[in-house]
Amino acid sequence: MTAGIGRPVLLALALLACLVFAACAGHRWAGPLDLARALAGDPDLGARLLVAWRLPRVLAAGLVGALLGLGGAIFQGVFRNPLAEPYLLGSAGGAAIGATTALLVPLGIPSGLALGGLSFAGAWAATVLVLAVAHGARDTAGLLLAGVAVAAMLGAVRSFLMLALSDESVSLQVVLSWTLGGIQTPTWGGLGLLAGLVALALAACLPLARGLDLLGLGRDQAAAFGLAPEGFLRRAILAGAFVVAVAVAHGGLVGFVGLVAPHIARWWVGPRHRALLPVSACIGAGLVLVCDGLARSLLPPAEIPLGLITAAAGGPFFLVLLRQRMRA
Amino acid sequence: MSVLAAVALVVARADAPAPILDAVSFRAEPGRLVGLIGPNGAGKSTLLRCLAGLASPTSGTVTLDGRPLASLRAAERGRRIGYMPQEFRPAWDYTVRAVLELGASRTPGAALGIPAALAAHGLGDLAERPWSRLSGGERARALLAAVLVAEPPVLLADEPGASLDIGHRVDLLARLARYARTRTVVVVLHDLERAVRDCDRLVLMDRGRIVLDGDANAVATSPVLDATFGVPFTRVATDGRDVSTLALRR
Repeated sequence: MTAGIGRPVLLALALLACLVFAACAGHRWAGPLDLARALAGDPDLGARLLVAWRLPRVLAAGLVGALLGLGGAIFQGVFRNPLAEPYLLGSAGGAAIGATTALLVPLGIPSGLALGGLSFAGAWAATVLVLAVAHGARDTAGLLLAGVAVAAMLGAVRSFLMLALSDESVSLQVVLSWTLGGIQTPTWGGLGLLAGLVALALAACLPLARGLDLLGLGRDQAAAFGLAPEGFLRRAILAGAFVVAVAVAHGGLVGFVGLVAPHIARWWVGPRHRALLPVSACIGAGLVLVCDGLARSLLPPAEIPLGLITAAAGGPFFLVLLRQRMRA
Repeated sequence: MSVLAAVALVVARADAPAPILDAVSFRAEPGRLVGLIGPNGAGKSTLLRCLAGLASPTSGTVTLDGRPLASLRAAERGRRIGYMPQEFRPAWDYTVRAVLELGASRTPGAALGIPAALAAHGLGDLAERPWSRLSGGERARALLAAVLVAEPPVLLADEPGASLDIGHRVDLLARLARYARTRTVVVVLHDLERAVRDCDRLVLMDRGRIVLDGDANAVATSPVLDATFGVPFTRVATDGRDVSTLALRR
């Protein structure tokens, strides 16, 4: 296993490879040299489209993936369970209800603010609800059942909102395609905002590393080692909800990345969150870059919703983990 | 010198017919290994959790050097009171070193003592070994090392090594006894033979109350012990002590 300086370099190279793959992938594939020429300012239309359209989307995909990986690591740490994931536990569903409301109901405030604010409120409320329902559930099955129940209820509410609130001005198709997960091409300004939010998310989450490590020892032992679990959990859930809300607001419902990325990261750098959180973010970014590239290139000229690709890849992974966990 | 004291502790639950702790007062000082003994359901673990600040009593107070425990910040409480639980199952497969690092993280500078703690507890070769690959005895030693690496002035241990074989149990209690020479140590024990052998003072609990509290020999020779457990004990005197061990009379 690589260690020391080797790991960050290897991670950066892998991320770069995913970035190049995603930038090259599409209805019309580009070669790495085309990409280099486009970045160097090639005036050709294809090169300009590559820079103006594909690159912002690819970078947005990477940033959303980083949030999904980071969010998964936070949730697994908070719930002390490697199968906890924002999508499976209804937190992303809560964010989706907020986002659906923001998309369908004219609230008289800037749409970006409404989308972000309501997504955050929904993710936070759903997480608190799952934590309250699962409180006392000592095993994986209890936690997942609580999450599945909350996610099912939230899914029903979201479907109702979509049916009740959509009209000619906001088509059901738009909201539905968003809920299936997908990255829209942002403006450069929008991309900058997203990058700022990711930086903010990392700044909010990295100081949680020691507390999440302690929580991994068990709530009592964490308290015995000087952590105030209630206050810490409140902070961690707020940070996790923020991460999920930004991810859902920019990428819709993209499942399983938050499950898979921390697993790969834990296998690679171990369970300490100081390394696990940033590495999960990087691996999440890489996974979404690859999945988004596949989504744009597998069925040209159509585009497969990103959430379908991640579910197709991540679902079996989850089932294998669940089986291992149940056996253990 | 840290004095841990409880005054009129009551822990009651709405769904329980009787209080789990019923007006328990207790005081522990450095220099003597204190054993909490009693039948199942006597309230030993609950009392220990209250003393550690991990459970809140319905009424009554716990103080550390005269200050109410509830008024201490979690970080300060963690620095001053070490707690070794009955069951310890980390959610993640931490290495021994990681567990010690987390134990040390509650006191500034304590991380410097990790190599010495690993050596003192015979864990030098196991530092990088994941928790899942440790034996029961190794786990108990590693947890004790993690609790003690920050050198808390008070140590509370809930049936340490209950699942260990006799050799490991003797070793663990000897470590606690050594620590108790200069610190306040309270340990819940089910093994009465070891309790009489290793503890200086025994506190006998039954149905949420302290029914006997005194020198280990005095408690061991009291008929209250037989009555509390509902079994007749045979006292065996060796090593110049009045009673060095207890055995069930056949």
